[in-house]
Amino acid sequence: MRRSLALLALGLVLAAPARATLLDFSPEERAAIARHGPWPPAPAHDAGNAQSGRREAIALGQRLFFDPRLSPSGQVACASCHVPALAFADGRARSQGLAALDRNAPSLWNAVHERWQAWDGAADSLWSQSIRPLLDTREMGATPAHVQAAIGADRELACRYQRTFGRQPSAQGAEATMVDAAKAIGAFVATLVSPRTPFDDFRDALVRGDRLAAARYPLPAQRGLRLFIGKGQCALCHLGPRFSNGEFADTGLAFFSRPGAVDPGRHGGIEALRASAYTLLSTWADGADATPTRHVQLQHRNFGEFKVPSLRHVARTAPYMHDGQLATLEDVVRHYSELNVERLHADGEQILRPLGLGDDEKADLVAFLRTLNSPGVTSWRPGRLSACG
Amino acid sequence: MKSTLALAAAVCAGTAVAAPCGEALDAKARQRVESGELVVAWAPRPAAIPLDKHFQLDIAVCGAPVAALRVDADMPAHRHGMNYRTTVTGAGEGRFSAQGLMFHMPGRWRLIFDVDSGGRTQRLTQEIEVR
Repeated sequence: MRRSLALLALGLVLAAPARATLLDFSPEERAAIARHGPWPPAPAHDAGNAQSGRREAIALGQRLFFDPRLSPSGQVACASCHVPALAFADGRARSQGLAALDRNAPSLWNAVHERWQAWDGAADSLWSQSIRPLLDTREMGATPAHVQAAIGADRELACRYQRTFGRQPSAQGAEATMVDAAKAIGAFVATLVSPRTPFDDFRDALVRGDRLAAARYPLPAQRGLRLFIGKGQCALCHLGPRFSNGEFADTGLAFFSRPGAVDPGRHGGIEALRASAYTLLSTWADGADATPTRHVQLQHRNFGEFKVPSLRHVARTAPYMHDGQLATLEDVVRHYSELNVERLHADGEQILRPLGLGDDEKADLVAFLRTLNSPGVTSWRPGRLSACG
Repeated sequence: MKSTLALAAAVCAGTAVAAPCGEALDAKARQRVESGELVVAWAPRPAAIPLDKHFQLDIAVCGAPVAALRVDADMPAHRHGMNYRTTVTGAGEGRFSAQGLMFHMPGRWRLIFDVDSGGRTQRLTQEIEVR
């Protein structure tokens, strides 16, 4: 009998739900947490893209995004490096197009809310960015003429093109048709806005003063969040609802992309932007605010800077950093904890210092980062398209 | 009575009404910085400087004829400036507009006004907290 009671008591203890606890966040901390929302943000369109938001263009863009025939090889599509089941990244350290590439494929979720596209920010819109891999001989290796011919040769693509732009793919020069295709792809990518996360529920509960709901957020994640906005100073760059300021930083990473080759990062990105025929300042743009492109400044410190990535669904986009040199979130946190300040530019920013985190703190920070995720970012399925052609 | 008057005079001296400058700028957002005779009044658009978004400044320079004005900003504690270069457009009679400013981090920023006047450049600065 006594043994039965003891077992019953043990069973009750094991079955009892963990007691929900809410840390005593200060008013300043609550304000800092509130600034990481709300989510989702107001809808946005691809800059300089009159097709963005149009159903026909999105359908065409979706078809083109998954079509390897846009590459003359017939083997590389946008979706080769931006795989829906991998959060529109590819899970590789460095991507593989027609040749081995030097950088990690960034996730495309929420890319429409970015000021600059790609790790070096060499494109100022989604449509402009879409042209880069199309024409890059290491990625898809296409030409405008090939893109025009590929669309014209397929009855469904030609039909969707006609429906979107009101003309045949061959009705104008090849370059104009390629830009149209890029705008359709941009219109599709602009629809990828990630779902809400456990962090968003916590943040909203805190803002409306619902302590009970807020306390459901795991305690390790609460402690990690406190580190993120406090001692870690992570929110200096990873700010706002996207957890990124959309700008560029040198974070003390090894900078050789291959033996003897240094990736210039943002410095090369600004140079490429200025050399591009497809920016928001070009005649190809459909009337956008080009303030960032017009005023961006090339500085020596841009060398070795890479874009501050959004941390939304970061747990689903390993490996990390511009070249995938860090395999796990734990590695990323360790990097900032043990930062090699000698590696940073002598004339660069004085923000980063080794955080010197204890093991518990590192685990808490990772626990927080994992709450920025929603299962929906790896379960995207293409919408059904009406018949055409 | 004499001491009361002296105190009033001192208070008046301490709070002397500054010469007007930039009265046409948005009064709710207007700020001013001065050095000697030179006054720079400025008002951001939008009125509250946004974090991580571009904004512009409407500017009035008073106290001396201005040959040219340059506007910049930095974060002294972080030892970095903006990622964008401003363009300053003159509208005559000491009025200017500066486009292309963007503060990409929260914290203490320093606005820098370099005023070319009378054959020399005077730098006026003003620190502001951005959240």
